[in-house]
Amino acid sequence: MIAPYVEFAKKAFTRESTYRVEVFSNIGSLIFRVYLMRSLWTALYAHNAAPPNIPLHAMITYATIALLMSLVLEVDGTRSIHEKLRQGSIATDLMRPINLPLSFFSDGFGMTLFHAFTILPSLLFALFLVHIDVPNPAAMLAFALSFALGYVLNSLINFLMNMVAFWTLETFALQLMVRWTSDLLSGQLLPLTFFPGFLGNIVQNLPFAAIYSAPLRIYIGDLSPKSYAATFETQVFWILVSGAVAAFIWSRAQRHIVVQGG
Amino acid sequence: MNLATYLRYWRLNFLTLLEYRLNFLMWVGFTIIYHGTAVIALWVTLHQFPSMNGWDFRELSLLYGLWMLGHAFHNTFFFTIGEVPNMVREGGFDRFLVRPLDPLFQALTVPQQIWPDELAMAIGIFPFITIYSGVHVDWFYVIFVPAVMIGGALVDFGIQLTVATLSFWVVRIDTLRWVVMSLEADFTRYPISIYTRAVQLILTFALPFAFMNFFPATLLLHKTGGGFAFNAWIGMLTPLVGLLYASLAYAFWRVGLRRYSGTGS
Repeated sequence: MIAPYVEFAKKAFTRESTYRVEVFSNIGSLIFRVYLMRSLWTALYAHNAAPPNIPLHAMITYATIALLMSLVLEVDGTRSIHEKLRQGSIATDLMRPINLPLSFFSDGFGMTLFHAFTILPSLLFALFLVHIDVPNPAAMLAFALSFALGYVLNSLINFLMNMVAFWTLETFALQLMVRWTSDLLSGQLLPLTFFPGFLGNIVQNLPFAAIYSAPLRIYIGDLSPKSYAATFETQVFWILVSGAVAAFIWSRAQRHIVVQGG
Repeated sequence: MNLATYLRYWRLNFLTLLEYRLNFLMWVGFTIIYHGTAVIALWVTLHQFPSMNGWDFRELSLLYGLWMLGHAFHNTFFFTIGEVPNMVREGGFDRFLVRPLDPLFQALTVPQQIWPDELAMAIGIFPFITIYSGVHVDWFYVIFVPAVMIGGALVDFGIQLTVATLSFWVVRIDTLRWVVMSLEADFTRYPISIYTRAVQLILTFALPFAFMNFFPATLLLHKTGGGFAFNAWIGMLTPLVGLLYASLAYAFWRVGLRRYSGTGS
């Protein structure tokens, strides 16, 4: 049952590994970013009072880990929906005896695995520029679990986004819009606790917060072990919600394409 | 004659705008979200840390506004230069060489859905930024800001043209364009005084992004100190630096072009 999906993932992995130039420029721009954020936060902490709970070294750790996470989280496995719709190959794909969304996710997972390997060299280079805190094993484990949940949620949100192509056919602008918004609201750019008052309450309770903010706050110790369970619960909650919405839209989308074809 | 061709090109652009109205609205939304999220991130950061090397949020908004002017001007009039690497790889560029028009002119008038929404937004919002930042407005300001816009756009253009020219030698260069663009967005957002001296020198001389907004803003806001020991009047040089940089890039482009058509590959 699961064998074809493993094959999809393997294929995606080898396909990604052929784009070497892209890998190098990805790592290169990540190193630039690490330098950039080190300069930024160092300057900010030098001239202002440090915020509670996040001293400079924790902030630099936060920003570096966020950049490394983005190597994996910015891979969008479901983007191929767009091409398949434009070329019409989605029709034959739907006839195959496979679960199409699952095949997208396994394809995305294969791509992700490849990009996960680029984390290691990136991390090594980053360590020349910055010092990163390493949490205790329990927190590390909790971070890994939370990151995995965030990954699933991120894939589902991408899938939702890409399904818009069934109706509009042009999704590039929309994808980028969601990407920028999510970068800001997920805590990738800066900790969500920096948002003041009321705004902070809102952004910390949006689904985006479950992607970057939750695992990162566990990593830097901003969340205590007592609140781990509640954090996981929130993440699972958003996965279930977006999963249900995605399943619903997927069933509508399939019908929509039949109408277009008929 | 070229001017007439160019005006026709813009007429076509506006016609596609009318034809693809939904697409146009989507890209307007994109422009708003792109700049909106950047400014909100800046605002949140400055809410937590009120001073960035002596710059507050009001002053940083002027920094952003100046960059946005030049960058939007570039995106509107020179954006398609970034398509050259793709065209070279797929062979479409060769068509330019057999037509009786300058290849650069042709590269700048590739029919694409290019709309002036970002430029209109940048210009429309700048008066508000001017008031908000509390900068002193006089006749000099009114003449200087458009000059900075065009100078900044030329800096941007020069850098993109250099990247495009590299594609005559190196085939897979298209990702470099995006890397350079994202570096630009990052390096122009904050005062360059937060970087080490080496990076400041790069941003002044090699990739002179600092002329797009940092030096002009320093001059306009009468900022002193904070890193670079240059005279504030260096900000006046933006239009000149833009012209010089774009000319150098153009010379490089000519060399690349001669080499490209020479080998006949």
